[in-house]
Amino acid sequence: MTQQILNAIFIGSIYALFAVGYTLVFGVLDVLNLAHSAVFMLGAVITYSLVALHGLPFILAAVIAVLVCGLLGLLIEHVALRPLRRRNAPPISALISTIGLALIFVAIVEQATPGTLFSWLWQDGANSVRFPTGAVPNPTYHVAGLTIEGTKLGILVTSIVLMLVLGYVIRFTQVGRALRAVAENRRAAILLGINVNRIFASTLFVSSALGGLAGLLFGLALSDISPYIGRDQVELKGLAVIVLGGMGSIPGAVLGGYLLGLVEVLAFVRFGSNVEAGVAFAALFLVLVIRPQGLFGARLRERL
Amino acid sequence: MDFFIQLFTDPVGFYNSHELLIAQIGINAILAISLFVTFYSGQLTLANAGFMAVGAYTTVIMSLYLPTPLPVDILAGTLLAGLVGLLVGLPVLRLRGIFLAIATIGFVEALRLGVILNLPITGEGQGLKNPSADPLGGIVPILVSLPIVAYIVWRLTRTKLGHAWSAIREDELAASSNGINVPIYKMIAFIIGAVLAGYAGALETHINFFVDPTEYSVTRAIQILTFAVAGGTTNVLGPIVGALFLTSLPEIIRQASSYRDVVNGVILILVIIFRPQGIVARGGFAVIRPRWWRTPWRSRGRAASAH
Amino acid sequence: MNTRLPGITVAMALVLAACGSATTGGTNSSSSYQGKTIHLGAILSLTGAGGVYGPSSQKGADLAVATINKSGGVNGAQLALDTQDDASDKAQSAQVAQRLIQSGQVLALLGPTLSNSAVAVHPLAESFKVPILAVSTTGIHIVPDCNYPKPDPCKYVFRDSLGEESAIPANIKTYSTKAHPKTGVLMVANDDKFSSDGGIIVQRTVSQYGIQLLDTVAFSKTTADFATPVTRAVQKKPDVIFITSLGGIPAKIMIEARKQGFTGQFLGGNGFNTAVVSKQAGAAGNGAESGSGWYLHNTFPSNASFVSDYKAKYGSDPDQFAAQGYTGILILADAAKRANLTFSDVAGDRTRIRAAMESVNIQTPLGPFQFTSTHDVKQTIWIIQMDGSGGFNLVISVNQS
Repeated sequence: MTQQILNAIFIGSIYALFAVGYTLVFGVLDVLNLAHSAVFMLGAVITYSLVALHGLPFILAAVIAVLVCGLLGLLIEHVALRPLRRRNAPPISALISTIGLALIFVAIVEQATPGTLFSWLWQDGANSVRFPTGAVPNPTYHVAGLTIEGTKLGILVTSIVLMLVLGYVIRFTQVGRALRAVAENRRAAILLGINVNRIFASTLFVSSALGGLAGLLFGLALSDISPYIGRDQVELKGLAVIVLGGMGSIPGAVLGGYLLGLVEVLAFVRFGSNVEAGVAFAALFLVLVIRPQGLFGARLRERL
Repeated sequence: MDFFIQLFTDPVGFYNSHELLIAQIGINAILAISLFVTFYSGQLTLANAGFMAVGAYTTVIMSLYLPTPLPVDILAGTLLAGLVGLLVGLPVLRLRGIFLAIATIGFVEALRLGVILNLPITGEGQGLKNPSADPLGGIVPILVSLPIVAYIVWRLTRTKLGHAWSAIREDELAASSNGINVPIYKMIAFIIGAVLAGYAGALETHINFFVDPTEYSVTRAIQILTFAVAGGTTNVLGPIVGALFLTSLPEIIRQASSYRDVVNGVILILVIIFRPQGIVARGGFAVIRPRWWRTPWRSRGRAASAH
Repeated sequence: MNTRLPGITVAMALVLAACGSATTGGTNSSSSYQGKTIHLGAILSLTGAGGVYGPSSQKGADLAVATINKSGGVNGAQLALDTQDDASDKAQSAQVAQRLIQSGQVLALLGPTLSNSAVAVHPLAESFKVPILAVSTTGIHIVPDCNYPKPDPCKYVFRDSLGEESAIPANIKTYSTKAHPKTGVLMVANDDKFSSDGGIIVQRTVSQYGIQLLDTVAFSKTTADFATPVTRAVQKKPDVIFITSLGGIPAKIMIEARKQGFTGQFLGGNGFNTAVVSKQAGAAGNGAESGSGWYLHNTFPSNASFVSDYKAKYGSDPDQFAAQGYTGILILADAAKRANLTFSDVAGDRTRIRAAMESVNIQTPLGPFQFTSTHDVKQTIWIIQMDGSGGFNLVISVNQS
């Protein structure tokens, strides 16, 4: 049981890191960015490619991948979101344009095999791969019957530190105040002289960089990198997390991530089958019906 | 291009070799209409995939275990979907916008993963074979149903009910203060949507031989949403055109072969950027123009897109 | 595909010539198809979840077509293979099948890649009276009962891929006689047909060999972290963990189980049989056993030329799916050769190919090939073992009774 709770905390931190980026965009721009899961996947794929195909050390590859994912965020903003804002399109249309981008990203990776256009990025088509053994040291400790892995421990620390930093930036810095102003009231922010488009662009950059980081950590710790890790493994769960935590709330997304991890694991231990996944979504349904503001909504009402 | 060449030079041959595609377009159009009805009343729901599952599984299970004639099975599936719609609608309809959408995602996945995969009668992950499937005969009821469904929904939008839906969509508070019973009208739209989705699900089992849980996931729900939004949601023609366009797209661009999904995605983005209000909507078709070029009818297009 | 076709090896030409003369019987090559084209279709999953297998089948089939055409074709006729992607989607699979059947001149079909699509496409081909040969599907109810639950057998549906109903029991039997395991835990993805079929077969088989199934851990394909289900399985301390699942999942489970200190044996099904899975599992997969329809270093006469041609054309070793796709084309070509095709009566030619397929008897990379009376493959089963570095070693070969 203790092992299962450790498992829950670990997967919870991946969910949280993924969902923080998701919820950040929703909080500031009021749109659901469905390309976020594709960026998550690319974070893992780019890191893998730099390590396995181009021979870079893991840390350097990871930094580059996170930056590239941030740039992809800018691409999402400029291709799929800004044109729609300029046309005053309803927020729902952003759903469609980001789905379009996600399709493109996934298809590019899925079709990349040796000798094709994108073979510099990926050579394994629809297959699942993992980092070459030894690329990242992974000491595994067995303490009192529990298995604790170095990478998972590192990921836990990384995600908590990052989320604290993000929380600090948003609460206490100039940029953070501008961000919150835009999130609260876009029109008032414009009147205050805040460059809203720049805030949007930097939101997308940060959100996508976090998404990419979550993806590469996922690929590292779970030995699974494929074109589908974002779409199949985390996308819907990410949605569940940001709803559990209250849409647009960052502390909510963090708590929601750990909560979902825990609910899933407990349901699995209790029922021992994929009722577990059903339980997570039933919880989502119930939370929305009973507390539309999210589980922590009352205390964390303020956005972000 | 072969697609269009055959369509225009040899329509009979085209029909014979694309019956299943045409049937699928019909199904998807009915699904898109089911989403349109709720959308028209100002609700964004993704529950349709779940209602489809109810319609489909009920029909197939009845065909397998009961001696009832096929139309009865389909009717039962459709009505049961409506009933589930009522039960789901009661708690969720006070939610708005994206919250409603996500609650319905919760419903769809809880039904699929929690219920269907764990009830032996549904065949669980194995799925169920439909004993009365007839892929080529199955197209007839679909082609007959689509215009009837479209006509009924079009008529509905012109009645008092339709006007009430419009009013709710434009401004729920104002509608309420004008004496419109908002919860009832929303519920009616939600149930009609559920019934149509259940009907489409029941019909679809007859062109596919087989029901299995993977088909009724959120992916499917989002696909239905794409049909409706890309086609346009100001009148019932929009979802039909959207379903027609997006269902046949993979066949049309088959030559693009391995990078088909890239082309798919690019087209989706272009459509939504240049026609944010959907393909079928007021506001003219060619909207590709520089920012400074404002035409008088553009503002009307914006008004149409604002809701 | 910018690689150039290799010249046909002498061995291949000899094999083809040999099997031609061995089996043409009364018709022999007097019915010349000179100048004609035999149209074949393939419905494969080149994109989507089945994209792990479809491209291999396609490469194998393409290689066979190129090889046969280079050596003079089928009684002088050239083969033309029209391969269509079904995007791993059942509806698209059926649509593509219908288009190939109705608007093309195809005489026979290969595919589809996934069992999920096969349940829609096979009955369709049956009702159009077009022979269809499954080259990768291993589930139950593929042949001969494609119309289940209706009892009437499908006359037009064949399969050259080894079914899990043969492979998994052979694998369990081999391991039991060797190591006498007492207990096992089954880990099964129960949300797709292939995996849950495998799970059912394991459950049916284990008791025959005195293995007690301590637990069945069912999970969803979309599970992100397998630590949770694996912890549950490992804590039961079984001798064997059975894994029936697809794609990267078997590898993820093996890695996680080894991390958690599991020292027992992994047994599985067709989901183990690609180099990609062996490579992903790495050291964690070392020794994991499965039953396969083909083995890279098998000594059948036509396997050597297949492997060397494949390497020359694509630059890598073929896998089981490539071998089955390649064999699929050899089977159809042999049937076409003996079917006295008219090239004017498409419906009649399809029926003639179907009839000729029942008496196929040729040398293939899978071994000497004949269909059983139920249109299934009757062949040697190769029990193979992951070698911990992306390849496989042979444990034993089992002749199917």
